[in-house]
Amino acid sequence: MKKLIYTLALICLFTNCEDVIDVNLNTAEPRLVIDASINWFKNTAGNEQSIKLSLTAPFFDDDVPPANGATVQITDTNNNVFNFTEDNDTGIYRNSNFIPIINETYTLTITYEGETFTGTETLKSVASIDYVEQENEGGFSGEDIELKAFYTDPANEENYYFFEFISNIPSIPTLEVYEDRFTDGNQIFGFYTEEDLEAGDLVTIRNYGVSERFYQFMFILLQQGSEETGGPFETQPATVRGNCINTTNPNNFPFGYFRLSEVDELIYTVQ
Amino acid sequence: MHISLRLIVFILCISPLTLLSQEKFTLSGSITDNQSNETLIGVNIIVPELQSGTMTNEYGFYSITLPKGTYNITISYLGFQTLTETIILNTDVVKNFKLKESAESLDEVLIEENIEALNIKKPQMSVNALSIETIKNMPVVLGEVDVIKSITLLPGVTNAGEGSSGFNVRGGAADQNLILLDEATIFNSSHLFGFFSVFNPDAIKDIKLYKGGIPAKYGGRISSVLDIYQKEGNSSKFHANGGIGLISSRLLAEGPIKKDKGSFLFGGRSSYAHLFLPLFDLDNIAYFYDLNTKLSYRLNNNNSIFLSGYFGRDVFEIQDSFENTYGNTVVNFRWNHLFSDQLFSNLSVIYSDYYYGLKLNFVEFDWESGIRNFNLKYDFKHYISNNFKLEYGLNSIYYKFNPGEINPTTESSGINPYKLIDKYAFENALYIDAEHKLSNKLSVSYGARFSTFHRLGQDELNTYANNNPVIFNEALGIYEKAEPTGVENFSRSEVIKSFANIEPRVALAYQLNNKSSVKASYNRMSQYLHLLSNTNSPTPLDVWTPSGKYVKPQLLDQVALGYFRTFKDNTFALEIETFYKTIQNRIDYIDGADLIANDAIEQVILNGEARAYGMEILLRKNEGKLKGWLSYTLSKSEQRTQGRTTIETGINNGEWYKTPFDKTHDISLTASYDLNKKWSLSANFLFQTGQPATFPNGQYEFNGIIVPSYEARNSSRLPSYHRLDLAVNYNPNPNSTKKIKGEWVFGIYNAYNRRNAANITFRENRMSGTNEAVRLAIFGIVPSVSYNFKF
Repeated sequence: MKKLIYTLALICLFTNCEDVIDVNLNTAEPRLVIDASINWFKNTAGNEQSIKLSLTAPFFDDDVPPANGATVQITDTNNNVFNFTEDNDTGIYRNSNFIPIINETYTLTITYEGETFTGTETLKSVASIDYVEQENEGGFSGEDIELKAFYTDPANEENYYFFEFISNIPSIPTLEVYEDRFTDGNQIFGFYTEEDLEAGDLVTIRNYGVSERFYQFMFILLQQGSEETGGPFETQPATVRGNCINTTNPNNFPFGYFRLSEVDELIYTVQ
Repeated sequence: MHISLRLIVFILCISPLTLLSQEKFTLSGSITDNQSNETLIGVNIIVPELQSGTMTNEYGFYSITLPKGTYNITISYLGFQTLTETIILNTDVVKNFKLKESAESLDEVLIEENIEALNIKKPQMSVNALSIETIKNMPVVLGEVDVIKSITLLPGVTNAGEGSSGFNVRGGAADQNLILLDEATIFNSSHLFGFFSVFNPDAIKDIKLYKGGIPAKYGGRISSVLDIYQKEGNSSKFHANGGIGLISSRLLAEGPIKKDKGSFLFGGRSSYAHLFLPLFDLDNIAYFYDLNTKLSYRLNNNNSIFLSGYFGRDVFEIQDSFENTYGNTVVNFRWNHLFSDQLFSNLSVIYSDYYYGLKLNFVEFDWESGIRNFNLKYDFKHYISNNFKLEYGLNSIYYKFNPGEINPTTESSGINPYKLIDKYAFENALYIDAEHKLSNKLSVSYGARFSTFHRLGQDELNTYANNNPVIFNEALGIYEKAEPTGVENFSRSEVIKSFANIEPRVALAYQLNNKSSVKASYNRMSQYLHLLSNTNSPTPLDVWTPSGKYVKPQLLDQVALGYFRTFKDNTFALEIETFYKTIQNRIDYIDGADLIANDAIEQVILNGEARAYGMEILLRKNEGKLKGWLSYTLSKSEQRTQGRTTIETGINNGEWYKTPFDKTHDISLTASYDLNKKWSLSANFLFQTGQPATFPNGQYEFNGIIVPSYEARNSSRLPSYHRLDLAVNYNPNPNSTKKIKGEWVFGIYNAYNRRNAANITFRENRMSGTNEAVRLAIFGIVPSVSYNFKF
């Protein structure tokens, strides 16, 4: 789809298509945003984890406010309780005795301003990154550097992947989600391109194992953001619901997601 | 419904009886252009003595049955010299007329007969005809004459802006338009993702757009019918014409196969803007081409045959990593036969397909999808008397849908071959439509179309618990895909699901006086195919899906009311119409529905409803040095998808929301002025309320990125759209006797360089990390020049 946008851009070349404008927007009441991402990096104990709670803000504000003073805990099916405590007033809640187990089901419970929020998810395993391939003549201009991070999908099972590419140029990571519907059992890749990437730059590549629900969630979420929108191919924006609910007041539902993943990380130096 | 059927049967029985009492004879024949022998559509044949008349049909044929007598028949057609001839009707007369173009005698005063009078009397309303000459005179972007872009200047017709395909009629979606090229259905009408349409203007004779009161002859789409006829080709002399423009060039050749009997027409068009891309150091290709062919042969006075074809493709290539090809193919054989001088028939056998291919070399796979159909139409026009005409016929279409097939392109590709399940369907219709003049003042037309649709057997159709492919997650308040409980396999000859609908069509016209009339119409229509698209305008990738076990056909009911009058001897015509329509089973998509390569589309769609209403005003000046029209539309278009149970929220909380084609105000002005024989000027002005859009009402941070959170669907709007286009036509030697004649067209599109937003994207600036609203404006001011020639 992105490529189709490029072809539109091709026609736009003649005219200078895009400019930044002022738009008056409405602002909704603040909602709790749950960024509960439990990441178990391969070959680590995975006991140190953090959860970030914040609030929604008007669209043009520079920052989003943290959600302070919440009580946060995760329980597993063996009745282990992992309490997360806030790191000063940052909205970041930490725990250092977490026990990650593949395919274990965990429940998150948050109490914030008298309302209780819960979510349940399974910790998913992930295939390792086999190697990275670099292409120097990619992209629309034929001059962009493209990276392909290859991994081998386990055959005869449904797998979902969440890739994160962090380079030292832009301030925002590139996120992608993949399913194995057309690639079951094959060696396939996560794809990354960044206009200003140069030899010597470091790119952190992370491959997370995720559930089908997270895949669906992130797929829609990424469509709402900057990358995929634009042009007549734009899909209808929508409210994206994660896997957490407000049990006290269902209408005041939270944004965000409670995810648990095994992660493989590779730091690549651009050649 | 039964009442209207009974009424038809009743009137059918009594009408012929009442007409047998007087001695009557039939005058019939065809009307052609004297230069090219091209048949002319919609020519008025007026009988002043009886204040009556008829028009030529799509094949230039007319027939009128009158009491014995002597008549001064007047033949008039816009752009041609009016002809008057005395006919003594004491036996059946076959008379072919040849009309002379009036362009040669521009300053001459034309006979001001009631050219529009027949239109005023006819019950047909909500129809706009445009001659290709009118279309060619309008200023256009980059000098490319474009049928679809021109009809958006008509009242009740809009589109999603530059660079978007299709058009929207009276608040309907683009897939609800039936687009016919020489009777064949065209599935995708755009080139270059909508910048241009697939119709080569040189090959076209006549277009007609029905927005309401749609005759029973047409069916299968619920918003409108765009009926386009191609030229037959000049059967008296060889001619060629063409044009050289900034984007594309075209050439068309036509001539006799056998003088005055048979003719051929070959037309080609190709874009070449991509040739300049290397100048920008870009290794990319983007072009389109199309070919139009037609062979016509008049076997004798009662039989003519036509073979026509269309082939068009768009090709994109980017850096060897991405290749995209798509387009339509149409082959069409037609046979006109006169059973008698009162009974005209046309048999059409049509094959058409739409192909979409995509090759992604960087992921090493290709993708093919498409739709094929075989279409048989047999239409009869029965001119029973001067007061009573019948049209009846049948239509059968067999469809094969290939929703997509993926294949790896290399040994090392990580993609497995995958085939989405093919779908098959069979659509049939029988119709009958009467046009009945009840008195000098009152004419009615009434009829019905009986349509059936059979979804034929396919491999692997999912089954679901309670036959419900979409489930509601109560805890999260969202719709989700249901897990299939199994699959069913069918043989091709089995029918999985059938639908049948009776679609009544009624219209009446009451003439208030010689200059004005009121009209009313009601029609029901059904549509069995759905275009799956959750974008604002169709894309070439969009897939059509047939109704079936989980998807119901769309049903439309429309009423329209209109007032029509002419002023100053028909120099001006005024049309005011209001309409109200409702649509059942309009499909809507659950939030985040993925439609691409989805084999179980039923899991992401729900059946909703839609409604639209509005008023249209059209003031036209048909004659003189200054010609053109001013149109204004005030309308509303909404849709709603409610929960199926009290627990479900529905889409958008089950509330009505604006469709993307809801444009409250739509004003367009188009005018052309003939300065002298060398120079003519033309201009368009457009104003439209901004397109509905969904804007964020907040932001949040998740996994290191900023995510906008959105308000309810389509509750905001883009800024208003307006622009002015200008063009100058220069004919250096209008009186030249040389064989080759040339003409220059200079144009300015968007003359005051309005930056009309095609959309607004809300995003985080990748470098600064701050949020911004980015407007995409596709065309600023665009000057153009093209050269047209003929010899």
